[in-house]
Amino acid sequence: MLALAGSLCIGTVVAALVTSASPLLSRIAYVYVDLFRNIPFIVQLFFFFYGLPEIGIYIDAFTTGVIALSIAGGAFTSDVIRSGILSIDPGILEAAEVSGLSKPTIFRKIVMPIALRTSVRPLGSVFINLILTSSILSTITLNELTGSAKIVASDTFRPFEIYAVLLVAYACLTYLVSLAIGALHRYLNRDQTEAA
Amino acid sequence: MISVRGVRKAFGSATVLDGIDLDVHSGEVVSILGSSGSGKSTLIRCMNGLEKLDGGRITIDDFDVSRPKELSEARKRSATVFQLFNLYPHMTAVQNIALAPVEVLKIPRKQAEADARTLLDSVGLSARADAFPAQLSGGQRQRVGICRALAMKPRYLLLDEITSALDPEMTSDVLAILAKLAHDGTTMVFVTHEIEFARTISSRIVFLDKGQLVVDLPTAEFFAADGGMAKPRIAQFLSKMRKD
Repeated sequence: MLALAGSLCIGTVVAALVTSASPLLSRIAYVYVDLFRNIPFIVQLFFFFYGLPEIGIYIDAFTTGVIALSIAGGAFTSDVIRSGILSIDPGILEAAEVSGLSKPTIFRKIVMPIALRTSVRPLGSVFINLILTSSILSTITLNELTGSAKIVASDTFRPFEIYAVLLVAYACLTYLVSLAIGALHRYLNRDQTEAA
Repeated sequence: MISVRGVRKAFGSATVLDGIDLDVHSGEVVSILGSSGSGKSTLIRCMNGLEKLDGGRITIDDFDVSRPKELSEARKRSATVFQLFNLYPHMTAVQNIALAPVEVLKIPRKQAEADARTLLDSVGLSARADAFPAQLSGGQRQRVGICRALAMKPRYLLLDEITSALDPEMTSDVLAILAKLAHDGTTMVFVTHEIEFARTISSRIVFLDKGQLVVDLPTAEFFAADGGMAKPRIAQFLSKMRKD
């Protein structure tokens, strides 16, 4: 959950930078997206957990997992939000601008709510992917669902039952996210359903 | 007063406004006429700071729209209504109207929403106050757009072809509101193709052609045979518009 929130925060900020008027900020944001979207997550994870201590930066496994998932997820999240922002009719933003609203207010009250109307479903896919990717965290000794299942399976010698429960647990978790995303999508687009 | 002095604007190699001079005084209703591509909408966009000027100066009550620090003050004094409404699709009519008063003028939300409902009532939309833009007809959306502009209590109302996207019945609804505003003394600058309407409510008519201001005359003089109509380009334009 922390990583989902982290990736959403990072993604929102990066999407704002990518679509900003400043070429420098936009370039920096693009470099971040290209970098973390195009490197395997496990490599990023090993770099944070095994690489950084070599230069004196020690982070525990849980914090490393949250940071790594947030940063990697943020790259994908920002891309989804960016496409939502770019789909907004420029006339709407001009109307907000001439009415005297400040740029932060326009982003908060106009840009994000409208961008999320189209972005929320693909965002759901990113979040589900992050949940599934979290199973890789077991490789850095973090006992999340998969890591815990491995330990229990090796203790009990009942891998079939343990991993069957794990399958159901992941399926339930992602299904709940799908339901929540579906509800949020219907809420954000309630004017369309009520108009039909 | 809105003061436009020597305004030039080009898009690439195409000069859209070429040395425009215009003054709009408080209480005036100024119609800007001209064929498509004459620079009418660009002039409105320059007045509200949406386009950067390539030359010249525009001030609204002495606030220069080209200076970022003065632009916000200029925008507090003017409001724009757009051709394609540009309502915020995720907000109801009331929320569309109340947003800027709450955020810019710092009016308490309850009061801003009550004011918004009063405005909607004045344009016959009180029953649609909580509807989203997608649930409104074109004419209703444009009336919300006008209310959104009026909610900021602007000294100057800039209207950019606000009936172009409407059918004749909806157009007459919107024009009736403008006529009422003009009667109440609201200062307006509007770009329009509704010649007869412009004739009815305008105090002055400005005619643009190929980015240049051809005439700026009181309405009666503009339509007089020895006034604006004496200019072949204007006579040709009016003749064509009346045929259409």
